[in-house]
Amino acid sequence: MKPEWNQWAREFKEQYPGANSALMPLLHRIQAEEGWLSDETIHDVATLFDLPESYVESVASFYSLFFRNQVGKKVVHVCVGLSCALAGSDRLMENLEHRLGIKEGQTTADGEYTLLEAECLAACNQAPVVQVNLRYFEGLDPERPDVLLESSKSPEEEVKP
Amino acid sequence: MIRLTIDGQEVTVPEGTMIVDAAARLGVDVPVYCYHQALGPLGACRMCLVQVEKMPKLVTGCTTAVTEGMVVHTKGGAVEKGRKGVLEFLLINHPLDCPVCDKGGECYLQDYTFEYGPGRGRFQEPKIQKVKNGPINDLVLIDQERCVLCQRCVRFMGDYVGEEQLLLEGRGVETVVTTVDHQPATSQFTGNVIDLCPVGALLSAPYYHKGRPWNIDRHSTVCPHCPVGCSSLATTRESHIIRLEGRPVPDRDWGWLCDRGRFGYDFGYHADRIADSWVKERATSAAQATRDVAEWMQQTNAQYGPGSIGFVMGGQFTAEEAHLIKKFAHDVAQSDNVAVMRNVRGYLPAALNGTFQDLTEADTVVFVGVDPYEAVPVVHLKLRDRLRHFSQLKVLGVGPRRLTRDTMPGRDYLVASQDEAVFFARALAAAAKDGPGVQTLVDSVRDYVLPVSDADIEAFGQALLDAEHLSLLWDGENAAMAEVLAVLAGLREKPTAVLPTFGPVNWRGYEQAGIDPRYDNVEELLNKTRTGEIRMLVLWGADLTRDLPDRQLAEQALAKADYVVSAQVVPPLDMPYIDALLPVATWGEVEGTYVNMEGRLSIGAAGVQPPGQARPTRTYVANWGRLFRQDFGLDDEWDPFDSAQGDLISRAGNNHGPAQAVPRPGTRDASQEWTIIEGDWVMENGMPSEILEPRETEFVARVSPEDAARLGIGEHGGYVEAQTAGGTVMIGVQADPAIVERTLWIPRGSRHDWAQHLEGLVKLTRPEEVPSV
Ligand code: SF4
Ligand code: SF4
Ligand code: FES
Ligand code: FES
Repeated sequence: MKPEWNQWAREFKEQYPGANSALMPLLHRIQAEEGWLSDETIHDVATLFDLPESYVESVASFYSLFFRNQVGKKVVHVCVGLSCALAGSDRLMENLEHRLGIKEGQTTADGEYTLLEAECLAACNQAPVVQVNLRYFEGLDPERPDVLLESSKSPEEEVKP
Repeated sequence: MIRLTIDGQEVTVPEGTMIVDAAARLGVDVPVYCYHQALGPLGACRMCLVQVEKMPKLVTGCTTAVTEGMVVHTKGGAVEKGRKGVLEFLLINHPLDCPVCDKGGECYLQDYTFEYGPGRGRFQEPKIQKVKNGPINDLVLIDQERCVLCQRCVRFMGDYVGEEQLLLEGRGVETVVTTVDHQPATSQFTGNVIDLCPVGALLSAPYYHKGRPWNIDRHSTVCPHCPVGCSSLATTRESHIIRLEGRPVPDRDWGWLCDRGRFGYDFGYHADRIADSWVKERATSAAQATRDVAEWMQQTNAQYGPGSIGFVMGGQFTAEEAHLIKKFAHDVAQSDNVAVMRNVRGYLPAALNGTFQDLTEADTVVFVGVDPYEAVPVVHLKLRDRLRHFSQLKVLGVGPRRLTRDTMPGRDYLVASQDEAVFFARALAAAAKDGPGVQTLVDSVRDYVLPVSDADIEAFGQALLDAEHLSLLWDGENAAMAEVLAVLAGLREKPTAVLPTFGPVNWRGYEQAGIDPRYDNVEELLNKTRTGEIRMLVLWGADLTRDLPDRQLAEQALAKADYVVSAQVVPPLDMPYIDALLPVATWGEVEGTYVNMEGRLSIGAAGVQPPGQARPTRTYVANWGRLFRQDFGLDDEWDPFDSAQGDLISRAGNNHGPAQAVPRPGTRDASQEWTIIEGDWVMENGMPSEILEPRETEFVARVSPEDAARLGIGEHGGYVEAQTAGGTVMIGVQADPAIVERTLWIPRGSRHDWAQHLEGLVKLTRPEEVPSV
């Protein structure tokens, strides 16, 4: 546990009515620093808020933007929901896998990219949709993964969840 | 009360009742998965959809409380369509592997699909694959593919038991039930999730692929492992008990079992089970052993006259068997020296004996020397249930260690076992000095020094008097408590109930059969043996060396007796003294009555054959009767229910005479650095179980974490050298925060011989060299 976590926990507890509701912001805050949430982090957060570890784990594993494994600098979530699937998201995924040289669920050796599936990202009218960190890329051409990788290079995209 | 109509029938139910429960009153079955009365409503599975007039959509019957004049339909097109839809969704990713599923034939997913579901699914895409038969721990398996995510198991462990060891991980179709950090669940209550799981997702590991509904039998019985006597169902196949399930009793018992009881059913066919007759250390025929013993009895009687044979009942026999022993002793063996084996000195008159109902109504509970989680686990769950409904429940512990715990928070008063009665007496004297009998009680202990402040003593006394409904659990260690409890009950004009947690499990049953279960009785019997008045001992399940608190007396009596006959299920520690060891039928092999700690009579069914030469008590006494050429009326129909009120033993009688002073405890030997304390721990009740081996530890003794650190004992325990008056022994110890410093806790009646050899403990030291396990 990092010494500052204690401080953050206290701050969030003041801002929110209960430990349950303060949990999400604290997990975000810690992930922003650490990049992901390890078993140890889950344990520490549970201790900080006096919540059952099982509860913290349930919450952390529920949201796809909390990472329980180490991820690269850019997390590419390819939507595989129905609309995106009809618009060729499987093909887009294949192309991205090929282009990055990794499989879905893996991270490139240079630690740049992690490639993941996402369920419906709620932008079906713009299918297929990909989310890179916090930014959406919509109406993509499944055959042109480079376009996505190029345009996601701009510095404003460095924001991580 | 609220009146409503369900399927055209009118019903009146209390306010707050959910539609499914109101329907159940009419015998109308509404299918449910997530809902369980003990856990309360959740609304997760949508299986319970019903139609309520004036409501636009179907509603979940388990989360919708009844209202006046409500009109509910549990049948009809809309409901049928809703149920079909829910089931079709539940089955989308279900593996449909019923033919190899242990729950096949006992599964609500099968039943509801058959009754309400669609004939086939329309989903043709590949199913999501998940973990099959992964471990929850060594005893419970999870098939994540079969799970319908009702959350019963997660909520039971978290909300009900209070040990959050299961969780839902992930989201949507990817959600699975798993354990925290994927580590084995360690709670004493994990097996209940097998019964709770409505489908084949949570399975018993030892029962895995052992039987299907059509090749098993189920017998209604009670668990024999501790005085709770939980109602249960034994599954048998080919003369083995292969499973134990909880058996709910409507309006009284949810049917919970602890893991000790649920999985400890295999002692009957354990490798240690005695199946042969042994005379003078040689295996012999059953007929020969029976004849030899009869001859010894006749010889003893002829030489020393009536009363020269002593009988001691221990073990897990039925009340009827105790009656047979008593009758045989009196009519044939001409002896009234019949006693019950005891491992503590306390006795509770039936008049003070409460029932489990007293736990569901209590506002204050006091643990006297006992931590129910360890000694009588399901009582802990009953108290958890009370705590859910009544969060102000006051929990107080009095004893030489902490007796409250995270899941049963309260206040502990740490006093030595020998001081418990003094503490109570002084508390009463402080809070009710003019109460009847109170002054007599404290007469010889007014100035006795207790390690608790006067203010705390008075506050405790006040709490005892103020409680609206007081329930006490008592381990029987401090015999003088009986006196205090009687005075306390007399003082209070409000309900006061005591539940004894000591054994043997069926001691009340033996008492009903006419055998005096007080410690004095067995002590006197053994004293007579030591002095040669009794020449022969017949130990029916009793193991003196293991259980008698006065080990010296046990050894002297055993050594002095001309003959020691011992009828046992597994080898006793008395072994070196035994002249004839008789294999005897036990729980599950003989039908009969058990009386539990609330004085309730239940019938344990017979479902399997005893192994080898093991025969029922009845067969032994009948044969002996014949050999004595004496017909002693085996068929006199004694019925333990005759004297009971309903299924509870009579509480009448036992009128308490004038109060007596609590005796002043002897002074402790100040040179002794360590105090030894004992407690009941269901895992160490002497009955071996192969199934439970993964849960067992060699390190059964416990010390405080501080002492453990000093002794260099690691997380899972270790060996230390104990220097005692009689020499040095190596003992297995682990750390337990409930134990106070310089105290060594050992399980009462442990199967470890060293546990009986610790008198005069001087010191514990780290061994030079740790023996390998
Ligand atoms: S494992 Fe069984 S009890 Fe637990 S959530 Fe799944 S279906 Fe329900
Ligand atoms: S609490 Fe006692 S009687 Fe009940 S299941 Fe456990 S060991 Fe058996
Ligand atoms: S299916 Fe991809 S955004 Fe909805
Ligand atoms: S039983 Fe009603 S929603 Fe599950």
